[in-house]
Amino acid sequence: MNAREKILAKIRNAQKNKTTGAHTETIASHLALHPRGPLPPLPDNLLARFKERALKLSSDVQETSDRMEVPALLANYLRERKLPCSGVCWPSLSGLPWSAAGLDMQSRPAKNHDLVGVTGAFCAIAETGTLMMLSGPDTPATTSLLPETHVALLDPRRIVATMEDAWDLLRKEHQQPPRAVNFISGPSRTADIEQTVTLGAHGPYRVLLILAPR
Amino acid sequence: MQNTSLQFKKQVTIKLADVKLQDALSRLQSRFVEGRSAVISEIHDLQETRTAAAAIRDRVLNDLEHWLLHFEQQATTRGAIVHWAETGDDVNRIVAEIATQHGVKTAAKSKSMVSEECGLNDALELAGVAVMETDLGEYILQLAKEAPSHIVAPVVHKNKEEISDLFAEKHQLPRKTGIAELCREAREVLRPAFLNADMGISGANFLVAETGSVLIVTNEGNGRLVTTLPRVHVAITGIEKVVPTLEDVTTLLRLLPRSATGQSITNYVSVLTGNKNKEDHDGPQHFHIILLDNGRSSLIGGEMQEMLRCIRCGACMNHCPVYQNIGGHAYGWVYPGPMGSILTPLLGGLEKSPDLPNASTFCGACAVVCPVKIPLPDLLRKLREKQMQRGMKSRQETLMLKAWAWLALHPNMYALATKIGVRLMHTMGGKEKLLHTLPGASGWTDGRDFPAPSGQTFRELYQRRTHK
Amino acid sequence: MRVGLFVTCLVDSMRPRIGFATIKLLEAAGCEVVVPEQQTCCGQPGYNSGDRKSAVALALKFLAEFETLDYVVLPSGSCAGMIRLHYPDLFKDDPILLARITALGQRTYELTDFLVNVGQLKQVPGKFQGSLTYHDSCSGLRELNVYKQPRALLAKMPGVTIKEMLESTTCCGFGGTFSVKYGELSTRMADNKCQHIVATHAGAIVGGDLGCLLNIEGRLRRIGDHATRVLHVAEVLSGIDTDEVQ
Repeated sequence: MNAREKILAKIRNAQKNKTTGAHTETIASHLALHPRGPLPPLPDNLLARFKERALKLSSDVQETSDRMEVPALLANYLRERKLPCSGVCWPSLSGLPWSAAGLDMQSRPAKNHDLVGVTGAFCAIAETGTLMMLSGPDTPATTSLLPETHVALLDPRRIVATMEDAWDLLRKEHQQPPRAVNFISGPSRTADIEQTVTLGAHGPYRVLLILAPR
Repeated sequence: MQNTSLQFKKQVTIKLADVKLQDALSRLQSRFVEGRSAVISEIHDLQETRTAAAAIRDRVLNDLEHWLLHFEQQATTRGAIVHWAETGDDVNRIVAEIATQHGVKTAAKSKSMVSEECGLNDALELAGVAVMETDLGEYILQLAKEAPSHIVAPVVHKNKEEISDLFAEKHQLPRKTGIAELCREAREVLRPAFLNADMGISGANFLVAETGSVLIVTNEGNGRLVTTLPRVHVAITGIEKVVPTLEDVTTLLRLLPRSATGQSITNYVSVLTGNKNKEDHDGPQHFHIILLDNGRSSLIGGEMQEMLRCIRCGACMNHCPVYQNIGGHAYGWVYPGPMGSILTPLLGGLEKSPDLPNASTFCGACAVVCPVKIPLPDLLRKLREKQMQRGMKSRQETLMLKAWAWLALHPNMYALATKIGVRLMHTMGGKEKLLHTLPGASGWTDGRDFPAPSGQTFRELYQRRTHK
Repeated sequence: MRVGLFVTCLVDSMRPRIGFATIKLLEAAGCEVVVPEQQTCCGQPGYNSGDRKSAVALALKFLAEFETLDYVVLPSGSCAGMIRLHYPDLFKDDPILLARITALGQRTYELTDFLVNVGQLKQVPGKFQGSLTYHDSCSGLRELNVYKQPRALLAKMPGVTIKEMLESTTCCGFGGTFSVKYGELSTRMADNKCQHIVATHAGAIVGGDLGCLLNIEGRLRRIGDHATRVLHVAEVLSGIDTDEVQ
């Protein structure tokens, strides 16, 4: 017997005398129904809740009604903080007027020395102020990870109440999860030294969320 | 990792006298106890959510074989390779084989307590693979050649000054004193390790059976880096970590970071399914998942099965007055605090950890905060029962217990014995009404007096009152 | 109503006046107090040391002595918790005994819990004057939810000022045999508790479990504090707080 068979046999023998009732059908039905657990009550205004929670997570939040305004808004944000005005963006965002705003934004996955990464988001979760990102050829995971500044464009209509809603949206729009689903809740941080929270560990030091309708 | 929990009592003495450690432990209260309390109240109905979480874990554990098989099938369909390991040594062998197979020379590792069980780093070094820990706390410990003292905050026992000295010595850079500067220095030193690693090694907080995914919660981003950049990703975890669906794991995620670090959600929650597609720019080409037993299957179906519900949040140790006073190293193995006092004897042998089940006042603080409602004190008591059944208690203790039980079952003898006893103690107490020493109870009187009784028992006084 | 007093082994030997204080309080709440004279120990020391057999025997003894009474009251959250929560565990394989022991457990109360929620004591007889701080013993607090009850009763006493200490709900380190087996650790825990007590400058530390109180008093005296009085809540509430009044 190999290790797999030995381990499974041990478990099987240990449970032989217990009538757990859960067998193949109940497993299948649980998977098919994927019932939700207790949910938190959330306000009707998901946008306001999302913004409140995002700020609490130390994300920065800006809004514009005109998507074409995003580059100018970002340029302003970077200059105010004396940050470099160059970086990388997802291919889907390459059509925005970056250079007109004085930004050098290249459409490719991020490399080590890129300092600004601009992404979209699959959706966002109001309960916790979280972004949901799906990896893929046009949505590389490194863009939100390697640069010191992560900028995410989010359509406010893509804010859902809970992570459960986000899973349903994923099931509806995609058959299965991509290689990586990343939920991002603010800049990377560590509290390993003396339990003091420090922003900017191995990932971004800051996260700017720009709410702009598509 | 070597189990040294036989040394528990000796370690207690050392840790209680360690001024630096005591200072470091004093931070647990504000960061973890108050931190948890501030966000756990965000959960609308905490008891209902804890009950649901426990039921999710029980659903899996009660039918573990089928859930594991479903997970394996889903993960395999998506291109992951699932390995099974009976022992820590088997894990080490499998990882070394994967390294050889893919020509791996360097590995970057995010935090994994299961890998600490196996002593993976040493084994990989022997196999010629250079391993770099990348979680800040674990990295510090790797430099200092120390073991973690907490499952969530591994370096809670060290202060900033010690870390400054360590970095200055090992990095050969000017000594930094600010915490933010130290973090930046670690980031800059570690970034090349992520970029150059052939292999990323991670743990898994959960395995999602529905999708065959490995779920990892992290704050620093190192977990994302080691599972995104290297061409090989190996995730190592225990067989009990399966959760049925994405909804089920979401319920657990409402509790895990709140219980662990006082966060509503961790910075990153990564759900990793299969290896990189051809068109993807990033992600590992090879995704291996190693499922470790290491004694866990022996708890299935038995009276200790509830321990396998554990989601490794660390709340039990944060709230444990014993842990709060001695820290994690005294427990002698990977898992400290109440959960460790149960897991260590169960996975490593009760005879090697005789003190751990007994070093608890049964204050119950751990059970109140456990997000999956593990009855920790009850499980500790069951271990004590096993010690009793197996004759592992000292002769003196067994004798005392037997004598007390016999007396308590023979009320007249009991009355006589207590009558004599309290008179004796009353006399010994003298004018001060305090006993400074008690034969057979130096454990008490070394640090405390014993208030002397008034010299007559309630029974005597009551009888006199009613029969007069 | 007929209320059985289970005085507990520790009170029986170490501070009998707590037993009389309990009787006075129960009578003040209008109860007829019955004290089965053959009672000894609830079996917790054995049970918590892994000796289930002796605990079963003592649970049966308790059942025989108290089953006919309307309620059972104990001046201890720890022993009341043993009876209410842990006795049923001892008989989980015997449905008939389990039903009986569970029913009796449901009628078993820690003193302050009983006085507030069943006896509904209106007038507190004690005349205590001064400030005190309250230690919440673990079993009463976490097994029986005793937290507000003693404070509510003490609040009925015009002379009493409650000065809350830091971490009043943290274990004092007693833990039965733990206090002897792991003396150093137990002492440190007691010491932490004493630091918080002393910091309140209260005249007395009050609690509902004699084990914890002996531990706390033992440490206070060892570190040279002979002034802070260490009292059971029954002593304060009843006014029987010295052997002279008894």
